[in-house]
Amino acid sequence: MRSRLFLTSLAAIAAMTPAMAADPIRIGVPVGLSGANSVVAPSVVQSAELAVEEINAKGGVLGRPLALEVADDGSGAAGAQKAFDALVFQKKVNVLISMETSAARNAGLPIVARGKTPFIYTSFYEGKSCSPYLYVNAWVPEQQVPPIVDYFNNEKKAKSYFLIGSDYAFGRGMLAFTKSYIEKTGGKVLGEEYLPMDGSDWTPIISKLKASGADAIITSTAGGAPNVTLTKQLRAAGVNLPYGNLAVDEGTAKSMGGDATGIYISASYVTGIDSAANKSFLAAMSKKFGADLKTPNDLSVPEYEAVYAYKAAVEKAGGTDPTKVLAALEEVSVDGPRGAIRMNKQRHAPLTMYLGQVQADGGVKVIQSFPNVDPGAQCPPKS
Amino acid sequence: MLTVALDAVTTAALLFIISSGLLIVFGVMKIINFAHAAFVTVGGYAALVGAWLGLPWLLVLPLAFVVGAVCGALTEAVIVRRLYQRPLDAILATWGLGIVIGQLVTLVFGREVQFVQAPITGTVDLAGIDYSAYRLVMIAAAVLIAVLFTGLLSGTRLGLSTRAVIMNEMLAQGLGVNSARVRLVTFAIGSGLAALSGALITPLSSVDPNMGLPWLISAFMLVMVSGGSLLALAVSCLVLGGCQVIVSTFVNPILGGLTIAILAAIVLRIRPEGFARA
Repeated sequence: MRSRLFLTSLAAIAAMTPAMAADPIRIGVPVGLSGANSVVAPSVVQSAELAVEEINAKGGVLGRPLALEVADDGSGAAGAQKAFDALVFQKKVNVLISMETSAARNAGLPIVARGKTPFIYTSFYEGKSCSPYLYVNAWVPEQQVPPIVDYFNNEKKAKSYFLIGSDYAFGRGMLAFTKSYIEKTGGKVLGEEYLPMDGSDWTPIISKLKASGADAIITSTAGGAPNVTLTKQLRAAGVNLPYGNLAVDEGTAKSMGGDATGIYISASYVTGIDSAANKSFLAAMSKKFGADLKTPNDLSVPEYEAVYAYKAAVEKAGGTDPTKVLAALEEVSVDGPRGAIRMNKQRHAPLTMYLGQVQADGGVKVIQSFPNVDPGAQCPPKS
Repeated sequence: MLTVALDAVTTAALLFIISSGLLIVFGVMKIINFAHAAFVTVGGYAALVGAWLGLPWLLVLPLAFVVGAVCGALTEAVIVRRLYQRPLDAILATWGLGIVIGQLVTLVFGREVQFVQAPITGTVDLAGIDYSAYRLVMIAAAVLIAVLFTGLLSGTRLGLSTRAVIMNEMLAQGLGVNSARVRLVTFAIGSGLAALSGALITPLSSVDPNMGLPWLISAFMLVMVSGGSLLALAVSCLVLGGCQVIVSTFVNPILGGLTIAILAAIVLRIRPEGFARA
């Protein structure tokens, strides 16, 4: 009893900001504060904090304030089990909204199913994760790869490609899709090479690439070090082919300096999106966090929008009943920094994708946008 | 074919640069310094700081060497000195020290990947193929390091004492050689070399708290088959590094990454003295 009393008083303190007496709606955010995702996790938490603050300032959801419960999932399966267990069964959150590694997501799904808790996943991933409790508002390969390949095919007249990746599920999955898409659109893949995740010497692969005479390269390495070493060694070897990188984000591109110049990236969010919604979002973020602001990115902005999607679903369902909310999530559309998004394609969302090119000053210039790219058949109904 | 040959020679040069510090420590002390990878990382960060300060590249390299040598001297005086009679414990202690240094680097500089701009960019035209200029510079760097150290060992008073300690430590002590000082200096030089190699690879690599680790196993294996001789190390780098490039190019880069470790194990099984003259 005492612990429940303690929790209630905590909740009351959390609800204090705008004077609302009602019991808060709890949003669980299991996220990789430690481990591989620790670089990006703070920006995700900041996004969620801004969304909650904005919603509470306008009276909350159905008169109830929102409260965040952040838990560290250690970027992996073992940590995620603990985090999900604590959030679902001890904190009794109403919904989970988070960006996580695929391993952490997969470990969390059975717990989510046991607790019958809706789960909005806000990280781009390799696709085809299906659970009645899971909604996804970020991209899958079917959405990210075509803009780059189409652009290389049409504008750069590329006919042959060379693919380079890190040897792990996401790297191989992305390139397998890329290869089939290139072949479907009439191109040829001259080589597909992988290095272990901790590998740092790409020399033989680069020599093969140069010998192959490919018109363009597309890479999908693990984030961080492998991405950087590959790019640096490509540049040192004088490779100046059209270069599509499936794994680089705006922030990394900026810190890589001159070597990143000219790289093509494809994302559902870049800070340069020219819309009123994006500009007011960026202004609100820098007002709230000031010097501590982590640059909003393709992994943190979906988190912000997902909080609003949940708000809309609860309002449509008339309460937090999981079954009703899950049904409503499919029907609500949210206008956010990335535009209007509705998770109505087998619990995934059609997204506007942006093809960007890294400029000499480190900024990303949007070359072309591809409105409402369909996620394809992610979770076809079993017949 | 020329590309493969160049890849092989430049890879051997890189391996030689990174292993030489480990070899020198092993040769004198018969101790494997598993904190080697951490000193390589320290060198990478020294280059990063040097770049932030706007130092020219030719000053960054000695800076990295000095930083590494100071860290090495402290390590020898505080930890390694107590473990000469317990080589297995020394492996554990230096491995643990490597973890501590990695964490300290993370605390100071953060976990994220950092970047140092290459001093030399672009390619050189060699008989019709463009080849990375910086990798070619690595060949020169490897030769320079080899010449300097051969000179140091055979041309100076310190080298004479060092060789005496390598051959017979008791006898050397009896003749008035301060073997404790020789060990301190050697460990400092080995660590300085590790840091220097870390600075040298930054233009080809990223700077992050684990940047040295992928090189450690290869360096360890190469030192094992070389048995303490600089010349043998050069030979084994060329042979095993060359095999790695050939396997990576013609078979598969993932298997290529295992080549050095597997071949070294086979060599040691057939010929325990490795590439060193018995």
